[in-house]
Amino acid sequence: MRTMANPSFMNGVPELLILRTLEANEMYGYELVQAIRARTNQAITLGEGVVYPALHALESDGMLRSRRKLVSGRTRVYYALTRKGEKHLAGLVRHWQHITDAVSLAIGGLAIGGTAHAAATL
Amino acid sequence: MPQPRFDRLSERLLHAGIAPRHVHRYARELRDHFDDLVREEKAGGATRELAETRALSRLGNDDDLAAAMLSRPELRSLTARYPWAVFGLGPIVLLALSIVGALYFEFWLLNHSGGVFTYWTGKPPGPATAKLATRVYTVYNTLVVYGGPLLFAWLFYRIGSRQRMPANWIMLGVVLVCILSGFQNLIFYDKGYVGGGVLLVQSDLIPPFSHFAEHLARAAMNLAIAGGVWWFAARRKGSSTTALSRIVET
Repeated sequence: MRTMANPSFMNGVPELLILRTLEANEMYGYELVQAIRARTNQAITLGEGVVYPALHALESDGMLRSRRKLVSGRTRVYYALTRKGEKHLAGLVRHWQHITDAVSLAIGGLAIGGTAHAAATL
Repeated sequence: MPQPRFDRLSERLLHAGIAPRHVHRYARELRDHFDDLVREEKAGGATRELAETRALSRLGNDDDLAAAMLSRPELRSLTARYPWAVFGLGPIVLLALSIVGALYFEFWLLNHSGGVFTYWTGKPPGPATAKLATRVYTVYNTLVVYGGPLLFAWLFYRIGSRQRMPANWIMLGVVLVCILSGFQNLIFYDKGYVGGGVLLVQSDLIPPFSHFAEHLARAAMNLAIAGGVWWFAARRKGSSTTALSRIVET
């Protein structure tokens, strides 16, 4: 299986995956990276160290909140989704579904006749 | 292999203007993540050395880790984004607010101390109490006028050095605090009867400049104290940086 790594194509994907993964449970960085890897069947792997700037930025924007928690004698920074983050996630999901539907349509159309047009505005 | 401390990465990010709280948390999270990766690799059968090498590779190199942080302008501190506001306007605003705050607090104390004195002693304040009050409020005013500005100068030094700001910006903040604060004064004296307290705020930066030489001397004294503390702190920091670079080199 190929791993997607094109930076421009991946724009916004880390945020989407982070918010989606944190929707159900609060997690710390390592836990989050493993969960994303498992959820995407390892098709999308976030750089393990570079996930933190995204988490910090999302927290600065009010999408996430963090708290320190002592687990097995170690203090972890746990991240959880805020109400604002939930709304933002819903918007991101709609946007990405729109894009993937359009791309699927274009690919399917091209495969059949090569004349179909994508309806999404990128 | 010792656990990486990400000191060089932290320094690089601080110099680039990322807020210290984000930098320190990032370094701590990376250290924890590194530990988790080592544990995972060892559980998979790798030797300690191999596990650490793989963990570092999975975490990313310093350039990638720095680039990821630097691509987020919202993580830059206000100090790095608006140094002119922090070190140029900050001292003026802070000194003005502090003198107004101190004045209001003193005014409040003056209004209530008589009542509190009567409550505790059962008699109203007299001439002897007025002398004591004058002494107490003189100490308070001295702390506000002499101690406060030095504390603010230290605050600007601390803010600037934590963010690894160029020395010129820090110096601007400290010098402004020292000079401006030298020219302001809070004075209280009591005439010995109820309602006879006098509270004065003076600034010799506005005419008629009646005590200009005295205030200039105080500004010079502030600068000398702040400069001395800076020199001492720089010497201590220099010796610890040398020790750190020796550790890094070895």
